[in-house]
Amino acid sequence: MKSVNQEAIEHDPQQLHNDLHAIWCNPKGLRSLTIVNHTTLGLRFMVTGMVFFLIGGILAMLVRTQLAMPDQNFMSPEIYNQVTTMHGTVMMFLFAIPMLEGLAIYLIPKMIGARDLVCPRLTSLGYFCYLFGGIILTSSLIIEMAPSSGWFMYTPLSSKEFAPDLGSDFWLLGITFVEISAVSAGVELVVSILRTRTQGMALHKMPLFAWYILAMALMIVVGFPPLILGSILLELERAVGMPFFQIAGGGDPLLWQHLFWLFGHPEVYIIFLPAAGIVSTLIPVFAGRPIVGYGWVVFAIIVTGFISFGLWVHHMFTVGIPQLAQAFFSAASMLVAVPTAIQVFVWLATLWLGKPKMKLPMLWVMGFLIIFVCGGLTGVMLALVPFNWQVHDTHFVVAHMHYVLVGGMFFPLIAGLYYWLPLFSGRMPSENLGRWGFWLTFLGFNGTFLIMHWTGLLGMPRRVYTYEAGSGWEIYNLFSSVSSFVLSAGIAMVLLDIALHFRYGKPAKHNPWNADTLEWANTMPPSAYNFVSLPNVGSRHPLWDDPNLPHTMKEGKHGLAVATHGRREMYGTDPITGKIREIIHLPGNSWWPLFAAAALAVVCLSLLTEVYALAGVFVIIAGVFLLRWSWENGAHPSAAPNADVATGDPPLHSRTMDGPGLWAMAVFLIANGSFFLSYLFGWFYLWTVSPEWRMPDIPPLSLLVMVLAGLALLAGSTVIEKLLRGLREQRDGRLAAGLYLAGGLGTIQAVLTGWALFSAELSPTQTTHDAVMLVGLFYALFHGGLAVILTVLQALRVGYGYVGAHAPFEPAVVALLWRYNVITFWLLIGALAVLPRVIGG
Amino acid sequence: MRECNRTTPIIGSHLAPQWASQSACLLGTVLLVSLAGCAGDKSILDPAGPAARDVRLIWWVMLVFATLVLIGVTVLWLYAFKPRNVVRTPAQERRIARRWIIGGGIMLPVASIITLLMFGVSAGQRMLPLPLGEPPEVIEVIGHQWWWEVRYPGAQGGEVITANQLVMPAGEPVDFHVSSADVIHAFWVPRLGGKIDMLPGRVNKIRLEADEPAVFGAQCAELCGVGHAHMQLHVEAVPRREFDAWLTARQEVVLRELAVADATHDGARDAFKTHCASCHQIAGVSQGGIGPTLSDVGGRAMLGAGVIAMEEGAVSRWLQHHQTLKPSNKMPDHGDVETDTLDALGAWLEALSP
Repeated sequence: MKSVNQEAIEHDPQQLHNDLHAIWCNPKGLRSLTIVNHTTLGLRFMVTGMVFFLIGGILAMLVRTQLAMPDQNFMSPEIYNQVTTMHGTVMMFLFAIPMLEGLAIYLIPKMIGARDLVCPRLTSLGYFCYLFGGIILTSSLIIEMAPSSGWFMYTPLSSKEFAPDLGSDFWLLGITFVEISAVSAGVELVVSILRTRTQGMALHKMPLFAWYILAMALMIVVGFPPLILGSILLELERAVGMPFFQIAGGGDPLLWQHLFWLFGHPEVYIIFLPAAGIVSTLIPVFAGRPIVGYGWVVFAIIVTGFISFGLWVHHMFTVGIPQLAQAFFSAASMLVAVPTAIQVFVWLATLWLGKPKMKLPMLWVMGFLIIFVCGGLTGVMLALVPFNWQVHDTHFVVAHMHYVLVGGMFFPLIAGLYYWLPLFSGRMPSENLGRWGFWLTFLGFNGTFLIMHWTGLLGMPRRVYTYEAGSGWEIYNLFSSVSSFVLSAGIAMVLLDIALHFRYGKPAKHNPWNADTLEWANTMPPSAYNFVSLPNVGSRHPLWDDPNLPHTMKEGKHGLAVATHGRREMYGTDPITGKIREIIHLPGNSWWPLFAAAALAVVCLSLLTEVYALAGVFVIIAGVFLLRWSWENGAHPSAAPNADVATGDPPLHSRTMDGPGLWAMAVFLIANGSFFLSYLFGWFYLWTVSPEWRMPDIPPLSLLVMVLAGLALLAGSTVIEKLLRGLREQRDGRLAAGLYLAGGLGTIQAVLTGWALFSAELSPTQTTHDAVMLVGLFYALFHGGLAVILTVLQALRVGYGYVGAHAPFEPAVVALLWRYNVITFWLLIGALAVLPRVIGG
Repeated sequence: MRECNRTTPIIGSHLAPQWASQSACLLGTVLLVSLAGCAGDKSILDPAGPAARDVRLIWWVMLVFATLVLIGVTVLWLYAFKPRNVVRTPAQERRIARRWIIGGGIMLPVASIITLLMFGVSAGQRMLPLPLGEPPEVIEVIGHQWWWEVRYPGAQGGEVITANQLVMPAGEPVDFHVSSADVIHAFWVPRLGGKIDMLPGRVNKIRLEADEPAVFGAQCAELCGVGHAHMQLHVEAVPRREFDAWLTARQEVVLRELAVADATHDGARDAFKTHCASCHQIAGVSQGGIGPTLSDVGGRAMLGAGVIAMEEGAVSRWLQHHQTLKPSNKMPDHGDVETDTLDALGAWLEALSP
């Protein structure tokens, strides 16, 4: 389909700007809390991330002060454990991931020629969840009740018996809250990259950065749910005494380690991939030539993503696992060096064949390379099991980890910040101050951590709050501590440079680095709507191939340069070819994300203070807010009551059967599926491995009732599918009745599941078996109930005229949830009711 | 104040070997770090057994190799920044790029990994408790917050139980069966070989061997709470004959006699029953069961799981200041007990040296 707007119509650029600005602009004052725009929220993510980085950095300085000399009493062991735990937690969960997500949220739509992310209100919800979760978590430091069991919270040290105060609860609730934010961002980045690239930007034409972010977002979607499950289980154990991780009831503390590292290892690559994406974006620009081996890089990204999910056990080589498993995970851990080495040599070859310029951002890329390669090499060493047994949990690992994370994330991040600063602000940073900052950071970092490998080899374990004089570690620790203050000075200088440049930086000329990607077609700083018109891009390097493109875009010579309809619009395109499929209309600013996040924050706080009734009330309130938010969709008066489009333009997505909401639901269900599979993993793991697991002699769960429930669910899903077939053929007769029928069948399923649960007479605080079963049945109940509520709301919307043959989109989204419920419920029947009968205890 | 690491062995006259002074070792090559002085008694680089020696060799080889790779990559990158005025055809460019990517990106890591695995797998085998012709001595080590329980189930005459000291026979493989009574700890004697986690509800096994009689440091390696830094263990390898004698001297009957010998300590025994017996076991005096057994405490090298060296008056000092010496340890503060009583208790406990 070819848009009429692409015909060269003469627009008045100023008038176009005014029209678009009127629709997209950000409100001021208190109403700025309603902003859903990705540019604003991306910046908020990054600024908040930097604040948490400073907090984490101060904690690190406290640690180095304590360890500078032997036998120091600067901190008590209690406080020291809180400080180290919070340093790791803040840096990983409140800085690294949100910061990179913020950068991606800011850049991705601009790079792929879109006007916003695909679920703008979700961006806002994600931000507030992150902000509130982060505040709740860090506030524990102020009341000296921070988590103190290490950032990976190993049970039983983190369980109620050995950590009776609120520290672990702060961690579990705060982190889960922050993870909602991460998964939200993951879902919408995936859908945005797949479905909203500008016309013509086929998958193999999109900037490498988008590939990296696509992989990161998918990994978040799959990788975070295991930890969310683990956190929920541990919080249940702490709050009501369900013994998931206690040997006595049949649980296993090692289950926590598996769930944690199932998340924790992909996490390293979730942090590294976007940073490598920054490097892959900068190097071609500063080498003045396209990257060599685009295909190789994409291959490396995909392989890294897959391998990273097969490595988690290498964090657990010393827990006593079978030799064969160790050999497998050892080889897999080393294998991940291959895709990384491919990227390193692609970058090298690109520089080699280009005419590289050593500008300030490239200095940081150089620093990245040296530090990261060093960290990668010690990583290969650690993958060797006998060596791992020696240096595991020593300062050698602390050093390795900082080389990988600071080298692999922080250095590229600063390179990227310097590179995109002119875009953020329209001004250039100071080359001089920047170079000082780099060298102090680089030397300070190596001084701190290179020597720390040696301290570890001399036998210093990690996480000891002090050591004796005469241990032979004194001089190295002192050297590390002094260097760490040099490092801090360097970072302070960089942050000062960045802060000052907003006021004192020289105004930047347009596209100052002569970059090739679309974000530089924006004004500097960018407008709220990004682009006046959306171009047809047939090249990986649009700005190199057509340097005039920014001007023609601004003059409205490309697609969707109309704003008189009052909708926020952009293209929805084919995920592979980039051909236009529909026009996506986006919701505007909204209070609902803030309200929902605030309600969830109250839930979090009332769980912390053990006011469970209040928590229950606010869960319902949060649910109501979220449903109220979903009400303003499709043909709702505040969304797109008028479906008129210009002649020749594609239809609005809400008038099709395949809009971004469907994709968002699909990606969300992938995350949900990962959660469910982690649950099944836990069930089978405990069943087969846990030392004191006991299967009851008589299976408690009624097979008959469960099968009847499953059949009711299947019937409900079948009804929905039939309605969908009708909608596809433009028939919507008895749509509402059909939806009510499905809702009724869903209710029957929920009631039967509840009955099965009730009649099983579980004692979940006594045995792990019963506790795990209870969680599975609650999962089924929750999803059954959710499907019923959404289906009934659809029926209501039919009545209001928001859904029907003219707007058939939403039932397709709900149908996906039904299909998911059918699959997971029958798997649950198989795992909880059938297999125990077949195999027995 | 705390001279804990270089204590002289209690039995025999086997001085710990002189710590090999490793002068001017190179760590990496980016920074030259001159390491004058000595390594402590926990250095991986100063092995005293076959397993640790293998790992040291692996380490030096890996270090040299990794250093070469790091220098190579860095030099290539810096060289890539050199201005060149070569004009290449696209076909030439593709060829050069492919050479870099396949050579450096695939062949280099794959070759390194294969070499490393071949080199490393054999070393790992040695640490496994595979069946031997003659079954090795088994020592059970159980981690507690924050001390070590040590059991010798194979001792002739019955199981020997002690705490916070590990005596093992030198020159023969020993199997350690480790577990935990509370949270996860990790058993690690760096100079003998790799560590293994001590898990509640499970028994993990590791085989270690000390070449010669000597004293080694050991420390819990998994964060186990506030006392983690002070959870250390004095390990001593002795000749087989002395080991057997050491076990015999700790048979229950011997310890019972020792506990009630010498009537001058009667007052201390009563004080013990009042203040200590509910937690600490002494053969023939109390059941205890919460804190470490004290039946042979006078014969140990260290007090408080490696916190202070045993010498005259040490126990009394420990009893008076233990919350300062080892913050937050689980023994209640004894501010309510008179110093004279603590001194008497100390004198008696120090006399419990089989």
